[in-house]
This record gives sequence, C-alpha cells and structure tokens, in this order.
Amino acid sequence: MLTRRVRGSWRGSALTQRLIRSGFAGSASVTIIVLALIMLFLLREGAGFLGTYRRELETYRRCGLEFCDLVDRPLAQQEDLAGSLRRALSSSLEPLIGQARARRDEALRLKREVDQLTQTQREVFEQAQALPAAQAAAALPEATKALSAALKAASAAVVIAPILSAKQATDLRLQLSTQIPGKEQPLALINQLQQEFLRVDKEAKARFEGLQEAIETLEEAPEDLRETLSELKELALAAKEQATLHHTLEEGRQKLLNAAQNARDPKEKAALLKEAEASHSEPPDESALQAQIAELREPLVLHIGAYSAKVDQLALHLPEAEIQLPEAMELLQKTAQALPRHAAAMRASVPELRQWKADAPVHLRSVLGAFFFGTQWLTNSSWQDFFGFLPLLSGSLIIALIAIAMATPLSVAAAIYCNQFASPREREWIKPVIEFIQAIPSVVLGFIGISLLGDLLKDLSQLPMLSWIPGFPIAERLNMFNAGCLLALMAIPTMFSLAEDALNNVPQAYIDASEALGATQLQTIFRVIVPAALSGMGAAVLLGLGRVIGETMVVLLVAGNRIAIPDFSDSVGVVFQPAHTLTGIIAQELGEVSRGSAHWQALFMVGIVLFAISLAVNAMARAMVRRFELPKS
Amino acid sequence: MPDSRSTDPDADFISVRDFSYAYGSTQVLHGINLSIHRRRITALIGPSGCGKSTLLRAINRINDLVEGAAPVSGSIHIDGVNIYDPAVDVIALRRNVGMVFQKYNPFPRSIYENTVYGLRLAGITDRAQLDEAAEQSLRLAALWDEVKDRLDEMATSLSGGQQQRLCIARAVALRPRVLLMDEPCAALDPIATARIEDLIAQLRDRFSFVIVTHNMEQAKRLSDRTAFLYRGKLIEEGDTLDIFGNPAQPLTEQYVTGRLV
Ligand SMILES: Nc1ncnc2c1ncn2[C@@H]1O[C@H](COP(=O)(O)OP(=O)(O)O)[C@@H](O)[C@H]1O
Ligand SMILES: [Mg+2]
Repeated sequence: MLTRRVRGSWRGSALTQRLIRSGFAGSASVTIIVLALIMLFLLREGAGFLGTYRRELETYRRCGLEFCDLVDRPLAQQEDLAGSLRRALSSSLEPLIGQARARRDEALRLKREVDQLTQTQREVFEQAQALPAAQAAAALPEATKALSAALKAASAAVVIAPILSAKQATDLRLQLSTQIPGKEQPLALINQLQQEFLRVDKEAKARFEGLQEAIETLEEAPEDLRETLSELKELALAAKEQATLHHTLEEGRQKLLNAAQNARDPKEKAALLKEAEASHSEPPDESALQAQIAELREPLVLHIGAYSAKVDQLALHLPEAEIQLPEAMELLQKTAQALPRHAAAMRASVPELRQWKADAPVHLRSVLGAFFFGTQWLTNSSWQDFFGFLPLLSGSLIIALIAIAMATPLSVAAAIYCNQFASPREREWIKPVIEFIQAIPSVVLGFIGISLLGDLLKDLSQLPMLSWIPGFPIAERLNMFNAGCLLALMAIPTMFSLAEDALNNVPQAYIDASEALGATQLQTIFRVIVPAALSGMGAAVLLGLGRVIGETMVVLLVAGNRIAIPDFSDSVGVVFQPAHTLTGIIAQELGEVSRGSAHWQALFMVGIVLFAISLAVNAMARAMVRRFELPKS
Repeated sequence: MPDSRSTDPDADFISVRDFSYAYGSTQVLHGINLSIHRRRITALIGPSGCGKSTLLRAINRINDLVEGAAPVSGSIHIDGVNIYDPAVDVIALRRNVGMVFQKYNPFPRSIYENTVYGLRLAGITDRAQLDEAAEQSLRLAALWDEVKDRLDEMATSLSGGQQQRLCIARAVALRPRVLLMDEPCAALDPIATARIEDLIAQLRDRFSFVIVTHNMEQAKRLSDRTAFLYRGKLIEEGDTLDIFGNPAQPLTEQYVTGRLV
C-alpha cells in the first residue's frame, strides 16, 4: 500500500515534470513560430511590390508621363528662382515703404477696433432704421444718440501706437467718432495715409525697376514651353487613365475566369464566363499618343532652347547695382549663380528627350533602384506616385543618430557612476529611477515633445546669443532634433542597464591586479574597467540603436512628418528640420491605403527593410559581445 | 626568549602584532603574531578557509576594496611603519608590496602593456625608460627569451605558466620590496609549477616573499620559514625545517603529516 502510493506519486511527479517541461518548450516554439509567421506574412505582402511598381513605372513610361517629367523636373526650379528674386525685391523695398505701410495699417486697425467696440449700438441703430417710417421716427433719435456717444467713447479709449504723430492721432479720433451710418464724414486721414503709402510704394518700386523687370522676365520666359508641356501632360494623363481602366477591367476579368474555371455548377460557370466576356476591354492603342509625342518633341526642344537662352541672358543682366541691402544682395548673388546651372539642367534634358522611348523595358534593377534610391515618396498624386525610400531612411537615420549621440554619453556616464562611484544607497534609487523611464508610455513622451520641448527649443533658438548655432533660429517646433531628444530618453534605460551589466562583468581579478599595482580608483576605472567593458558597451549602444530605429509613436508625433530628404546645406543645422521616418510612414499611411495596391505593398516593403535593419543591428550587437567576450572570472 | 625585534631588523621586516581581522561581523583572523624576514621566503600554510589569503591581502591592504573588511585590532608594520596608520599612502604601499594572484590575471592587452602597467600608473611616459624596465622585468621573470619577439601580442595568447610569469614580471617591474603570492601555482600544471618555483628561488635574494601554498612539498622545497595557520589563529611559525621536521605543536605535526583536514 505504502510502496504503491510512493510509486504513484513518483510517477505523478514525473508526469508533472514532463508537462511543465513541454509547457516551457511549447512557449518557446510558439514564439519562434509566430516570428516565422510574421516574417512570412511581411514577405508575402511585400513581395508583390516589385511587380506592381514595375507595372506602374511601365505605364508611367508608356503613357508619356516620364517624357513630361524629363522637362518638368528641371523646370520646377524656375519658380524657386523667381521666388528668391521676389524675396530680394521685397526685402529691398521693406526699409523704404515699411513706415508708411505701418501707419496706414495702424489707422485701419484702429477703425476696426472702434467698429468692434460700438457694434451693439450700431446694430440697434440699423434695426431702428429698418423699422417702418412711423416707428423709426420714434426710435431713431434715441439710437443715434447712443451710437454717437459710443463712438465718442470708443475713439477716445483706443490706444494709438506712437507711429502716428500726435496730430494724426487727434484727427483720427475725431474722424472715427463721427462715423454714424448714412451721415459718415469721409475718413480723410485713412485715405491720406493710404495715398501716402501708395505713393511711397510706387517711388520705391521705381527705384528697383530693373529687378522687377528681371522677375517678370523670369516668370514669363517659360510660357511657351509650359504651354506645350501642359498640352503633352494632358495627353499623357488621359492615356494613363485609359491604361489604368483597362488594367482594372482586365484584372476583374481574370478573376471571373478563374472563378469560372473552379465553378462546379455548369450554369454558374456559364454566367461567370458571360460576365467575364462583358468586361472584356481592348488594350488602349497608344500609337496615336506616341505620334503626338513625336510631333511635339521638336517644338518642345525649341522652346527649351529659347528658354535656356533667356535664362542665361538674365543671369548676365541681373541689376546688382540697385541693391544695397546685404541680405538682398546675397539672395541676388545666389540666384545669379543658380540661373546658369538651371539653364544647363534644362539643356541637359534635350538629349534625354530625344533618346526617350515609350516602349523601352523597365528593368527589375531600375525598379529596385527606384525604391531603394528613390528620392521621392509621393502618394495619392494626380500625376504619378513614387515610392522612393531615401527620404524615409534619411529621416530615420538622422533621428536615430541624434538620439544615440545624446544617449550614449549620458547612459555610459550614468552606468560608470552607478557602478563605480555611487554608494549602495545611491545605487538603490538611481537604478530604479533610470529604469522607470521605460515605463513612460511613448505617446506621453510624444505629448511632451509637442507641448513642451518643441516650444522650449523654438524659444531658445530665438535668443540672439544662441544664433551662432547652425540651424538657429528654427522654423519648425516639430523636428528631428526634438524627436531625437525624446528617443534618447527612451533609449537611455536599455543602454544604461546593458552598460552597467558590461561594467559588472569585468572580472574582479582585473580590478584586484590593477589596485595591487598601485592604481587609484580613477586609474583602475579608466585603464582597466572601461576598456574591458567597451565591447559590452558597444553592444549596449547598438541595441539602443535598434530600439530607437524601431520606435514609432514619438517620431510620428514629434518628427514633423515632412516627406523629403533633408537639406544638408545647413550642415549640423539639418537636425532642426522636420522629417518622416520608416516607422512613422507605416503607422500613418497603412490605415488609409487600399489593400493590395502598390502603396500598400510599398509600406510592407518598408516594413521588411525595417525588420532587416533591426535584425542586422541585433546580430551586430551579439557578434560584438561574442567577439570580445572576456574570460570568465 | 630574547626579543628578536631589537636585535635583528631584517628578521622583523614585516611585523604582524596581535592582528585580528573581520569581514563585517565575522572575525576570521584572531591575534596573529608573525615576523617576516627580509629577503627570505616565508610560506603560509594551513587548511582551506583558515585565513591565509586574508592575512596576505592584509599586508598590501588590497582587502580594503572588500566592503566591510577591516582589521579589528593589532597592527602590521613594514620596516617599522604601521601600514594601517591613516597617514599611510596606500598607493605607495602597494607599489612597495607586489602581489601575484592564484589565478593568473594579465589584463586583456599586449604583453608589453601588461609589463609596464604599473609604471604607466606611476606616470612614467618615456618610451626608452619603459622599454628598458619591460625588458628587465621580463628577464627577472625568466620570460624575456620566450616573448621578446611578440611583445605586442595579447597577453592572453600566452600559456598559463607564461601568463603567471608575466604577472610576476608586472609585479617586479615596480621593484617592490615584498612580493606576496597567493597559491601562485594552484592553476598550473607540474612543469609550469616547476618553472615558477625555479623563478622564485632565483629571486629569493632580491625580494622578501610571502607565499601562500596548499602544497606542503612546495613549502618545504622553497621556503626558509613557514607559518602554520589554523582556524584564523597562528599555531606555529619557525624555520621550515623545524616546522616540517620537528614541530612544537601537535596540531602542526598532524597537519604536515596529512592527518588534519
Ligand atoms: N570577501 C569575503 N567576505 C566574507 N568572508 C570572507 C571573504 N573572503 C574570505 N572570507 C572568509 O574568511 C575566511 C578565511 O578565508 P581565506 O582567507 O580566503 O582562507 P584561505 O585563503 O586560507 O583559504 C573563510 O571562512 C572565508 O569564508
Ligand atoms: Mg586562499
């Protein structure tokens, strides 16, 4: 009896053990299987992208949109150039006309203010006026009196900026106080100020006649070119529309045919086949389009030649003598340098136009290139969607670098302090506090970035004493630097813990040996402990990088979401520009695109690349630790 | 018994008096009295856990690093200086009292850098001076011929015995007066052990050695004097020949004949 019970319980415990064991094994394999499934799913959804995008690019070429872009792309610069000339003009005009305009604006502002202050009385007065004559006679005098009193009070009360002289102020008050509808006195002063402004403006503009002419020349120069181009563009768009329609119909027909093949019931099969037949569409004939393109090619080339010649001419005759203001001068000089480059770029499009062929095949290589090295991520465009990866990658990388550059010294220093200098009691609270940062939900951090850090940065950047910092004053509250700061905060706990572990793993034997040779604590730390922990700290940095690249919420909220490759002309100041990221774009756009479209697939491609980057970073961190593993103590 | 301290300063080079030591609240050394002679080899023997390492590590105060570890009473004088005096510069003390550990522990750097580590700590940067010191120390440690062509290789690429000799070279580079060795051969094979023993024998008239060892034969072969510790107390000290051949205490006799565990 006793033995049996013992044996029974022994068996039971073996069974439990086996169950527990398989439970653990099960969880491990579930994790692995889920990971594999995720990879598979990502790949399946993303894999179609190359095909779809290739088809879209083929349509883009076949329908002549690419042809138009050959001209349109370089031509886009014309507007920027005209814009900088306009800015040069307006900044030159400003010192001449600013005063007059400010006086006029002040007077107009005062009029508005008085109008506002007396609005109630005015309404009462207008109601009284609208009454039948008999009643009006009774109510009107009362209302008039009230309005006139209100006007007097208001025009006396408004504060007039010192930009208007004392006399002007008195006149204005007087004139404003008599504005009873129907019996208005002319607002002589306001009129006078307006006239004055117009006169000054005209005079000023006359002084910059040359510049104004230059602007007009540049704005009018491409008119013929644009006209031909927009004719072409219309043709191209129409062709594209047809091609898309045909593709959609064809796709539907294929689906129906497939269904028909699988259908068992002959009746159903016949119905499906009939339906498929109905949606049959002929592939659009693009030979007419191509003939038109061929026909317009030479006129286009002629226009380009004429336009570039005008631009070159303009570059030589920019009226530099008129300009005195240094900032306007700078703008003008920059434009003068950019104009010949622009003309050259326009001319460079000519051979491309001539070589362009509508039926040249789009190689897979160039599809890959268009994705991985594409500089445009342009979606929902009425012209053509582009899925270029570089703007997103550059945003993600710059933000990650900012974050790592800030988090590394902080977390390493904190780890060294905590591990080597802190008393046990300090350690007791430093570690939990740093690790607590991890508990802050990233959306809350994003909130802080929007409401606090953004304003703080912007205000700081406006301080004159900080204007030496590249990129200051900053234009956007939400920018890569802001996001980088918050991500640094998010990366610090991970990096701190790992760096601390690395320091802890330095064998005591090294420390003993160093101290026994007469090292001070600092010497031991910086000659033995830190060097020995360096690989572990490198791994900590890499894992922090992985965390930062994969983070979504903060960048979505704080990075500013401008899809463009940042402008590096400002050197380090580039960090204060807004950007979009690999993670942010997925979060933002995946919900809005239709399943299976090129855009949808492109987002999955971005996901795959993100996944690959994370894997690579993790593998590198592991390799780093393994490569420099310390002997076990 | 005449007071040896006054008559022969060499015989009382390191003088441990009524020395007690504790880790936190656990006292592990009780009233140790021991004289260590200048330029002699003193062996500390005793069963595991009796406090040999603790005593050794008290002599260069490396145990200061251990939290809660401190002497309870008594003193240790080296050449007449109380090393636990608050005025004593611990860094200078450790430069004068070198230490070699049970498990060889060169730094993960080149052989050369290991050798000159202590000199660099002391602020010596002159390359020629460092080169010369490195060569001399490696020669003293009988390692020069084996490594002179590979000074820039990692120290960890050496064999265990070579690494331990490198640790000895690293210690002697500072020209200490005392070398403390805590079971220096415990991690080595017999051949490497023999080489280390030869080395110690060669250096015996340059340094004062205190060697902790488990190996009775080694103590007999190497040491001039032997001290036997048991449960934190010094049972007996004297000439090695006396301790092994003619011990005064029955406990010592039991231990050296292997009947005490
Ligand atoms: N760092 C320490 N903290 C607490 N107790 C220690 C520490 N090191 C050694 N001890 C204790 O002190 C006693 C003596 O140890 P040790 O000097 O290492 O002996 P031995 O070297 O003779 O084997 C042992 O009981 C050991 O458990
Ligand atoms: Mg020991």
